[in-house]
Amino acid sequence: MSAAESATAIQRNQVDLLDFIDWSGVECLNQSSSHSLSNALKQGYREDEGLNLESDADEQLLIYIPFTQVIKLHSVVVMGSEEEGPKTVKLFANREHMGFSNVSDFPPSDTAVLSSDNLKGKPVVLKYVKFQNVRSLTIFIEDNQSGSEITKVQKIALYGSTVETTDMKGLKKIEDH
Amino acid sequence: MVLEATMICIDNSEWMRNGDYSPSRFQAQADAVSLICGAKTQSNPENTVGILTMAGKGVRVLATPTSDLGKILSCMHGLEMGGETNLAAGILIAQLALKHRQNKNQQQRIIVFAGSPIKHERKALEIIGKKLKKNSVALDIVNFGEEEDGKPEKLEALLGSVNNNDTSHMVHVPPGQNALSDVLISTPVFTGDGEGGSGFAAAAAAAAAAGGVSDFDFGVDPNIDPELALALRVSMEEERARQEAAAKKAAEEAQPQSESQNATSTATEKVSDPMDEDDLLKQAVALSMNIPGSDSSAGDAQMSEATNDDQELALALQMSMQDGSKDSSAPSDVSKVLGDQSFMSSILSSLPGVDPNDPNVKDLLASLLGQSEPQEKKDEDEQPKDDK
Repeated sequence: MSAAESATAIQRNQVDLLDFIDWSGVECLNQSSSHSLSNALKQGYREDEGLNLESDADEQLLIYIPFTQVIKLHSVVVMGSEEEGPKTVKLFANREHMGFSNVSDFPPSDTAVLSSDNLKGKPVVLKYVKFQNVRSLTIFIEDNQSGSEITKVQKIALYGSTVETTDMKGLKKIEDH
Repeated sequence: MVLEATMICIDNSEWMRNGDYSPSRFQAQADAVSLICGAKTQSNPENTVGILTMAGKGVRVLATPTSDLGKILSCMHGLEMGGETNLAAGILIAQLALKHRQNKNQQQRIIVFAGSPIKHERKALEIIGKKLKKNSVALDIVNFGEEEDGKPEKLEALLGSVNNNDTSHMVHVPPGQNALSDVLISTPVFTGDGEGGSGFAAAAAAAAAAGGVSDFDFGVDPNIDPELALALRVSMEEERARQEAAAKKAAEEAQPQSESQNATSTATEKVSDPMDEDDLLKQAVALSMNIPGSDSSAGDAQMSEATNDDQELALALQMSMQDGSKDSSAPSDVSKVLGDQSFMSSILSSLPGVDPNDPNVKDLLASLLGQSEPQEKKDEDEQPKDDK
């Protein structure tokens, strides 16, 4: 995929899935308490370069993001610094409550090795066919660029589209026929 | 009242035969364990506790995390002492047991009774601690029994590597007069980061931590029985809300605004509870009594919460809000509120599952504007419920 093609893919009816994240279920394992996931995910915080998501005990991070409705995931943007930004990122679709011990139990839906372009904001286009019916996304950051103790992520953005899910507000009582 | 799954690691090694804690170290430990189980299950009914032993032939899980207190206490019976404690294996297996807990929303906690000498190296313990922290497991260590050189340091190292924001604690209990359980009651192991373990802890400690109502509204001391007091208070509020809503409906039928206001004010008692347990209802009561200066804007913001819970209540509250704002000038008849088509449509569209363009709903609106028959009003209430 060329750079131009992936850039236009963002515009081609893919939306930022921020609105569809179910914030009550979002979890992040091994995050530092002062530098939490909100710094990387939430509107406003993620644009701020000073606010990062940082790992705590070691360099790995496990992020679980459920969605309010079923979505298709097209691409992700993971931004970070040159040294401490993430390198290998594995994505698992529809796996609930994973832990560090079972990340290797099943193959990821997609794996991305981030280049320095990606860390500056170039989106990583994913295997779209694997993410057609996503209720929850687990992001496993396995290591960082320089192999340091702490991984720092400045921004995580998800791009995709929604699947036609029934809107309960539109449900009407059937007339007698 | 944190939702928590706890695994308690019991030391049943040979060192527990010693009698420096009365009647024996093991017995003191068992008492402490039963107290902890009780406290945990009381502080939140959905909490679960599990038990494993670290010595004997090997680490053995006696009970996986369960909220059944009887099962936990019964598996403490007939435990035998012997062998050596394997602290590392015990903690790791406890972590595994917690990983497979049924309710994944529970916080994970391990309580370790470290009574015998620790044969592991400090490094190994630190690695274990880091692993626990990585998986967001909190650790409480009860250091008692055998006092060996280096044991406190090893345990400190373990605690340091696990501790994340002071969720993990260590308690050192020296041998002596006081029973192990008595000493533990006042520690964070019981009180859990400063909230109440109020059912079990001494009333004095609980009074500070529980933060309940200061005057005893219902003849029940909230410190002694917080759940009962809370239940009584909540049911009283609900009853008031129901009476209010009923009074509003009665008022719509015929009476002018002022009479309905009187009916509601006599029907409902003034809320004496100063704590903001249910601000929303206080606002409604204040508004219905036409208390000047009542903060209708705050009430508006809190309306949306009520709407989700109880449609009838929300409807009644909306009407009382409307009445309050229309205040003194015109005899704002409640039926005028209903007559405000746009207002009614806006209420109805905010109710989930009700489509204002639905002909049934339109019919009801029309009939309400004419003669408000109580029957149709009930139908309208049932209608949104059916549509849900």
